[in-house]
Amino acid sequence: MANLLWLQGGACSGNTMSFLNAEEPSACDLVTDFGINVLWHPSLGLELGENLQRLLKALTSGQMPLDIFVFEGTVVNAPNGTGEWNRFAGRPMKDWVSDLAKVAGYTVAIGDCATWGGIPATVPNPSESQGLQFLKRQHGGFLGANYKSKAGLPVINVPGCPAHPDWITQIVVAVATGRGADLSLDEFQRPKTFFTSFTQTGCTRNMHFAYKVSATEYGQRKGCLFYDLGCRGPMTHSPCNRILWNRQSSKTRAGMPCMGCTEPEFPFFELAPGTVFKTQTLMGVPKDLPSGVDKSGYIKLTAAAKAASPAWAEEDIFVV
Amino acid sequence: MTTADNDEGLRSEIAGVLASGFATNVFPRADSHEQVQQLVSDLREAGNDLKSKLRISGFTLHPVEHGGISQLCETCMYYKVHRRFCELPELNVPVEPDWSCSLWRI
Repeated sequence: MANLLWLQGGACSGNTMSFLNAEEPSACDLVTDFGINVLWHPSLGLELGENLQRLLKALTSGQMPLDIFVFEGTVVNAPNGTGEWNRFAGRPMKDWVSDLAKVAGYTVAIGDCATWGGIPATVPNPSESQGLQFLKRQHGGFLGANYKSKAGLPVINVPGCPAHPDWITQIVVAVATGRGADLSLDEFQRPKTFFTSFTQTGCTRNMHFAYKVSATEYGQRKGCLFYDLGCRGPMTHSPCNRILWNRQSSKTRAGMPCMGCTEPEFPFFELAPGTVFKTQTLMGVPKDLPSGVDKSGYIKLTAAAKAASPAWAEEDIFVV
Repeated sequence: MTTADNDEGLRSEIAGVLASGFATNVFPRADSHEQVQQLVSDLREAGNDLKSKLRISGFTLHPVEHGGISQLCETCMYYKVHRRFCELPELNVPVEPDWSCSLWRI
């Protein structure tokens, strides 16, 4: 039996909604099949008031073991570093986070806000938000760069806005069943099993990417969304087109551009007007090129691919 | 009339307008995002008036070299190779591969 506690800081509850929709395994499977004891969760917890405080104090004192500490949302430090804008169970949430992280076997950050600060940390960051161990790309965050949980791992970051339901439950199961040491994390402490390939990997529009045929409107079935509509699929690490959403689709498959929500810079360009869903260019060349491709190579590749594109690549081949 | 016939007719009309000396805004090129947005906005206001479209977008019957890159329809993202057509919704006109305009992007 592994004790799991889920708390929520500066958040919209999107990752909670995602978690409750998990299928492989489901939130119920965690309890019935994998022996996870969900001590408390913002949407599921029964304890209120003093009872909740007693539970939390039992954990921070070591009276009750905390095997998995899951945090959703940013750590709110406002105003002036006090954290008073986000009080929980009688004290600033950030104080609970600090104490619970010290006793946790594993600490797992779920979603962009808990990992990098996400939308709340967008300039000017009025809530003084931080991720648990990062603020955007800057290592450190609320717990500091040297933080390690009792199992010897840094915060395990499962980003996304929201994170896919199954990324959440599969990581929780891995650590609950003693396979935490098998987790390999990338430079941003994301499990490599999910965050090494790109959103583009498995995208149904790859043929249009290859032949440089652009989609010009949302929802079009033909055309690649990278060239004009701001899709970040070629430079975003996520398995969104391998582990499908609702088991059947993804944003790009449905004709909406990837926003790069598993990367530390999300939301990109600080949400400046005109930057969302529009490929940013400089002298006609995208500012952000597919990972590993330089400008000169991109121009040569594009010109050659365009010249070689077959007629069918310009048509809608997904006939209903 | 087929789509190809319509395209050919309009393509010839555009070539004729430009060959007659009709002046278009070839420079400055739309280098920044803001410049692109401004031109697209101007095109929307112009609606379907062909000469306005050509003038605002800086159409030419030849490639334009800019920043060390030859900007021609053939390599532009909005160009449909087989139909020889510009698919930018605000332009939406038949073109030739060696034409160019200020909204070129790769």
